[in-house]
Amino acid sequence: MKRVVILLALACGAPASAETIAVTGAKVWTGASTTPIEDATIVIVDGKVVSIDRRAAPAGARIVPAAGRVVTPALSAAATQIGLVEMLSAPDTDDRAVASGPLGAAFDVSRAIDPNGLTVQEARAQGVSRAMVFPGSAGSGAIAGRGALLHLSQGSSIVSKPRAALFANAGGSASESSGGSRGAVWTLLRNALDEARAYRARGASTAPRDQLLNHLDADALLPVLDRRIPLAIVANREADIRQAIELGRDEAIRIVIVGGAEAWRVAPALASARIPVVLDPLDELPVSFDAIGARRDNAVILARAGVTISFSVSGQGIYLSYDVGPAIREGAGIAVANGLPYADALKAITASPGAIWGEVPGAGTLAAGNAADLVIWDGDPLEPSSAPAAVFIDGWEVSRTTRQTLLRDRYAPSAVRP
Amino acid sequence: MTKGRRAAICGAVLAAALTLGSPLFAAKSKPKPLPLGPAPYAQPAATGTYHPLPRVDTVIRNAIILDGAGNRLTGDVLMRDGRIVAVGPNLQKSEGAVEVDGSGRWVTPGLIDIHTHYGTYLLPQTTAESDSSDIVEQGDFNAGDTWIENAIRANDPAFSRALAGGVTTLQVLPGSGTMIAGRSVILKPVPAVLVDQMRFPGAGHGLKMACGSNSLGGRGPSSRQGQIAMLRRSFQETQHYIAEWDEYLRGDEDDEPRRDQRKDTLAAAMKGTIPIHLHCYRADDIATWISVLGEFGVKIAAVHHATEAYKIAPLLAEKGVCAAVWPDWWGFKREAEDGIPENAAFVDAAGGCAIMHSDIPVLGSLLNIEAAKAAAAGRRAGLAIPPERAIRWVTSNPAKAIGLADRVGTIAPGMNADVVLWSADPFSVYAHPDKVFIDGAVAYDRSKGSRPSDFELGRPQREGVK
Repeated sequence: MKRVVILLALACGAPASAETIAVTGAKVWTGASTTPIEDATIVIVDGKVVSIDRRAAPAGARIVPAAGRVVTPALSAAATQIGLVEMLSAPDTDDRAVASGPLGAAFDVSRAIDPNGLTVQEARAQGVSRAMVFPGSAGSGAIAGRGALLHLSQGSSIVSKPRAALFANAGGSASESSGGSRGAVWTLLRNALDEARAYRARGASTAPRDQLLNHLDADALLPVLDRRIPLAIVANREADIRQAIELGRDEAIRIVIVGGAEAWRVAPALASARIPVVLDPLDELPVSFDAIGARRDNAVILARAGVTISFSVSGQGIYLSYDVGPAIREGAGIAVANGLPYADALKAITASPGAIWGEVPGAGTLAAGNAADLVIWDGDPLEPSSAPAAVFIDGWEVSRTTRQTLLRDRYAPSAVRP
Repeated sequence: MTKGRRAAICGAVLAAALTLGSPLFAAKSKPKPLPLGPAPYAQPAATGTYHPLPRVDTVIRNAIILDGAGNRLTGDVLMRDGRIVAVGPNLQKSEGAVEVDGSGRWVTPGLIDIHTHYGTYLLPQTTAESDSSDIVEQGDFNAGDTWIENAIRANDPAFSRALAGGVTTLQVLPGSGTMIAGRSVILKPVPAVLVDQMRFPGAGHGLKMACGSNSLGGRGPSSRQGQIAMLRRSFQETQHYIAEWDEYLRGDEDDEPRRDQRKDTLAAAMKGTIPIHLHCYRADDIATWISVLGEFGVKIAAVHHATEAYKIAPLLAEKGVCAAVWPDWWGFKREAEDGIPENAAFVDAAGGCAIMHSDIPVLGSLLNIEAAKAAAAGRRAGLAIPPERAIRWVTSNPAKAIGLADRVGTIAPGMNADVVLWSADPFSVYAHPDKVFIDGAVAYDRSKGSRPSDFELGRPQREGVK
């Protein structure tokens, strides 16, 4: 069988390392169901899940024993900045945002992603297979640019869908670059969409135009108008979230709220407008005047109202790029501690980001035909003290050796000479 | 420490004698300045006006107790008049004491956060605050004459969240933008208008210092070697200052030395009455500072952030320097590029003193989880770190580093009744502090929620938030 698979794989141009793998005896959360499958065998062929059931492993398969262990889909980070920055404090290693220059909506983070960045290496080893990488605040105007979806498969081609969403910033910290009032943000956003429409109607005319947007930015807005990608608005204050809902309705575009500290106050409206929220479950402090209503059960209230939620944990900016995997697991655990059902919390960091950002079908869930992206955990995955025992992405067992583990081994107490 | 205390006590007695009996001395034939005192650098911190919250004697029954001293037992904790009076199975409860059922729940000492900026990194932050905050004075490389207690706004909402996370003692430190950054203060997170009402009675100041990049430039040295030269110069000058005062106080010198409050702070650190808390990440920086301060007989109580503590864990253990760290921060700046999650565990394994700190408000209510992550990383690296050991990283170890190990950080007879009753294993993300006792009083009760700060009061956004 193995040989057949390999031959098939070669014939199909798949990686030569393709093999049959069977993860056995696991307690499997698929990311799609509300209960786990006990004592399951996951068969992986050629990087895809072939079956998840209680049958014995096929003959010749590489057996990965996981008795008593929890297996989940690999994690999906709904809003992160891995691959965009090495050191936050060093501008020449930081490509998160365009602070000056002509680019607004046209800024495309996929052109800045470094697949060799340590934040990528660490995320992978920590069980993250998918991520939406989003641009930081722009220096001028509310529109920050376009985010990219990553699939952290083997090798350097990790951008799976560039320009997958347009990001804008609303609220107090963003209003300065729009002239000084958060009200200006919304007018400028609406105007940008209008101008993009007019720009398209005029075609490639070179006649002078009465517009603020340059053609690069106008082009970048067209997929939003066509509902092919969402407009993600980073907003925390209730009033701004309501503005975002109105904008989505008036312009007939898809909206995603990122941040959403006060989203719980708008839960029914968000649910009926089908606007997902990527929130930070650690939020509970009024860190800004936009987040006075922050509370730890925000996720619970939104989920109960039927809002699709996912998590992005900031840690004052640190966790957005570093320790993304452990941080979103901790966030999910805290959401559970504050009342969110366990399966919902797990879904929020596996299946939901794909649904929110328009990933390939099946992303973040384990089912026959889906990419074999999964993690075998050494404990409860929502406990921050747990860690991956093994990570598979496209059926490739990710090396858990990272720069950090090499430092660990070099300086382990037993390794240090007296 | 002993030396300094003696100086303080002698000073007080002599000062009293002088006030009462100065005519007697004045009558002496050869008027000579007497042994005066205390020396300005030996004056103790203010006692404050903290009063314990209303309390009743309480016994917690049948809980799993991590005592902070390294033990785990199942039994009772009896608190009377703000002190722990007994720990063990089937304790006799005192007359009128309230019984709390601890079955299936866990008890730990109140957590101690050795590194916060509460009340100065005031929430909510606005662009105004983040541009020019009160976190540290940067008008000079030496801000040793600044006391952070002069800047603290007691109604910072972060205090109540820390309390709800099980924190009962915390240190507010000046920031790291200045090499000699000023005096810290030790507080209890109780409702207050004035910081004085939160001050831990009898707790001294600490001295915040900062090595490396954060404190480079500005009004200070522009290089690491310049910082070290400046450090040496400052301590040498302080040595002379102490000698001048000694001479004067012995009566060998008539003219009172000119008081210098920056030198007062460094002198107190040299005398060991003010513990030094050094912001420092790199192993080489930490080792250099330990060595240079060692030239003057000065010890560092704790290095903070210390992402490379694990590389010099034996040195830290040998010198008795604690390492107050995050479990998982790395890479965000050059100095932190080698941070690893096993940092605290390796410090601990070398016989050193590991501590978890928050630094940012969002982590101030999650110290137990920070410790859980750091301990788990150590266990995965093959080290035995059971809960009764890891709890020391947020209780007795920080108590030692702030000089209060005889009052807080462990559950034992005679200690302050600072106790947290957890709904479950405190190293689980699902655990909540059900009750937090400070000096025997229930300062936080989960069933009642947090007391809103003045800032939060009446804000429509918080309707329905417990």
